[in-house]
Amino acid sequence: MLMQGFATAMQPMYLLFALGGVLVGTAVGVLPGIGPAMTVALLMPITYSLEPTAAIIVFAGIYYGGMYGGSTTSILLNTPGESSSIVTALEGNKMAKAGRGAAALATAAVGSFVAGTIATVLLSFLAPYVAAFAVQIGPVEYVALMVVAFLTVGALLGSSVLRGLASLGLGLFIATVGFDSLTAQQRYTFGSPFLADGIDVVLVAVGLFAVGEALYVASRLRHGPIKVIPVTGGWTSWLRKDDLRRSWKPWLRGTLIGFPVGTIPAGGADVATFLSYASERKLAKGENKKQFGKGAIEGVAGPEAANNAAAAGVLVPLLTLGIPTTATAAMMLVAFQRYQIPVGPQLFESNSALVWALIASLYVGNLMLLVLNLPLVGIWVKILQIPRPYLYAGILVFAVLGAFSVNFTPIDVIILLIVGILGFFMRRFGYPIAPMVVGLILGPIFESQLRRSLAISQGDPVALVQSPVAATIYVVLIIIFGLSFLLKRRQRQFEAMVAENADAPDVVRGSAEAPEALAAPAATASTAPASTATATAPSREDTDR
Amino acid sequence: MSTSVQNAPGSGTAAAPGLPIGELIFALIIVSIGVVGFVAGAGIQTPPSASDIGPRAFPFAVSGLLVVVGAGLVIQVLRGHRGSADEGEDVDLDASTDWLTVGKLAGLVLLHAFLIVPLGWPIAAAILFFGAAWSLGARPWWRNLITAILLALVLQFVFGGLLGVSLPPGFLEGFGVFGG
Repeated sequence: MLMQGFATAMQPMYLLFALGGVLVGTAVGVLPGIGPAMTVALLMPITYSLEPTAAIIVFAGIYYGGMYGGSTTSILLNTPGESSSIVTALEGNKMAKAGRGAAALATAAVGSFVAGTIATVLLSFLAPYVAAFAVQIGPVEYVALMVVAFLTVGALLGSSVLRGLASLGLGLFIATVGFDSLTAQQRYTFGSPFLADGIDVVLVAVGLFAVGEALYVASRLRHGPIKVIPVTGGWTSWLRKDDLRRSWKPWLRGTLIGFPVGTIPAGGADVATFLSYASERKLAKGENKKQFGKGAIEGVAGPEAANNAAAAGVLVPLLTLGIPTTATAAMMLVAFQRYQIPVGPQLFESNSALVWALIASLYVGNLMLLVLNLPLVGIWVKILQIPRPYLYAGILVFAVLGAFSVNFTPIDVIILLIVGILGFFMRRFGYPIAPMVVGLILGPIFESQLRRSLAISQGDPVALVQSPVAATIYVVLIIIFGLSFLLKRRQRQFEAMVAENADAPDVVRGSAEAPEALAAPAATASTAPASTATATAPSREDTDR
Repeated sequence: MSTSVQNAPGSGTAAAPGLPIGELIFALIIVSIGVVGFVAGAGIQTPPSASDIGPRAFPFAVSGLLVVVGAGLVIQVLRGHRGSADEGEDVDLDASTDWLTVGKLAGLVLLHAFLIVPLGWPIAAAILFFGAAWSLGARPWWRNLITAILLALVLQFVFGGLLGVSLPPGFLEGFGVFGG
């Protein structure tokens, strides 16, 4: 099956689409203010004329490319980054300042390639098994899985449980506007024909990600020149023997941490990078350990590998169960829906050719990224230096283009603006965006499955927890929550310590009071990787914008 | 930006020690959306032949969630627990909120919505880009103008012409390469 996928993905036309996808993806990953989720949302209406396979291949390229691009920004840009990329920035930024930026970029790129490839292999082997299980589950189990996705994305990913749930609720609410799919009754349309068809997912996503972000950045734009740390030396001599010797183990460990975290509907790349960083620091010895905090290459290699492995892991529940666990995955799900591809447990069976072409294009895209990324670093640095007024004005233009292209009516642009203003205030007051998008997209599926389950049980809600599989899923959910709150506390300690050390960069880590605070998360990570992997930690999922 | 406004009304959420009015209002809006959900949801018709759970139950459940969570947030804010504003590479969290620029950008998007049909997409988009770049502090004006026109033409060519997205070409009507 995979070979057939390769046969499709290797066609020159599709190779070109994959190339375009990874280039666009890397560019948006490099640029602050836009992420892969927003890009997929923007491109959806304007790639409508493409055939499904081509569009999905483009989106897969954007998905992987965005991960590569993000590391370049956090290594080379001299401003405190977002919380999701801060792990790479911790050591990578220090390395760049010490003139070792080239090595940091190289270990990030090669590590991303190694992790991406291994994780894609794991995906290829694991996905059919999960899919075989998935086709057997009924609406009751499906409801249970979606409850897990809602609660973990809503309550665990952000820094505030209530804000995450409020964001989720807003998404679910918008999802109910329009005709009820089962009884064709109008809901919350207030007699307006524009609301009868519901509010388009693309409008909400573009409004939240693009317009909301542009307005928010405009309100607090960082002024002055954009400081990019220069990279010296030819790219061929970037990864020295010594660097390679120190990097390959963190790459593999990062992959092993990242992939399972990504597959579980509680993951997200942030947790994986954090766990990887903590364990690398724990495992480092002697001279190398002292370098942590001052530019240790292991601290870049591990988290970057974990990041990419988690990105591949996220595709397992997405492709087999139709459950998105990040905003980007949610937008990929919308892309499937747009092209009339049924999402959910039957995706793998009914559209196996497309799914395998997608997986094959991930291998291809990963290789392209490795080959292109290092030689093109000059271009990425140029992109990083685009004047910010032009960048955010351009984001607005693309947003209105995408919104207008949904139905070719200016009213959609006005709806876009309203959603954008909502997104502005959500950012301002610390409400995470991803739960709203996931709620909006999964809401209608959730409702119909819920009603189907209750129709089968004739309205008896006990049936929802009576199935052994569903009951197991709920028990696992409770365990996830318990563990995550434990881990959350430890990560807070860890972050506090990192912040402390960042203020005083000359403090040698591993001395004085540091070991206790550090040993805690690292020990959990190394002793029980599988179970702690389910637990997640606070920090925003900014990579998913 | 020369247009930045200090101590604009309502911008007190960043540093003011008093009650965070904006955040409180936002939490109250969440509660009221839930309330509206109940009130408007009562008007949803339930066909008698439907299964045990009709089209009304799920909206009610979501409204309930919004009311409960919103109320919790109101309490949290009143107790002094504030949300932490989003971080980003281009965001200066210490800067005071520049409401004027936000207003200009929102106004430009609104203007764009009204200009698409009469003037065509390229002109409307060029005006949006030019205005937004200027509001965000890009100078000199002629470089903004040239960039805006080039960007609008390229986008119209790529999406209108090559990809077949039906953007109204405006004055380019009749030029096939622009999808006219």
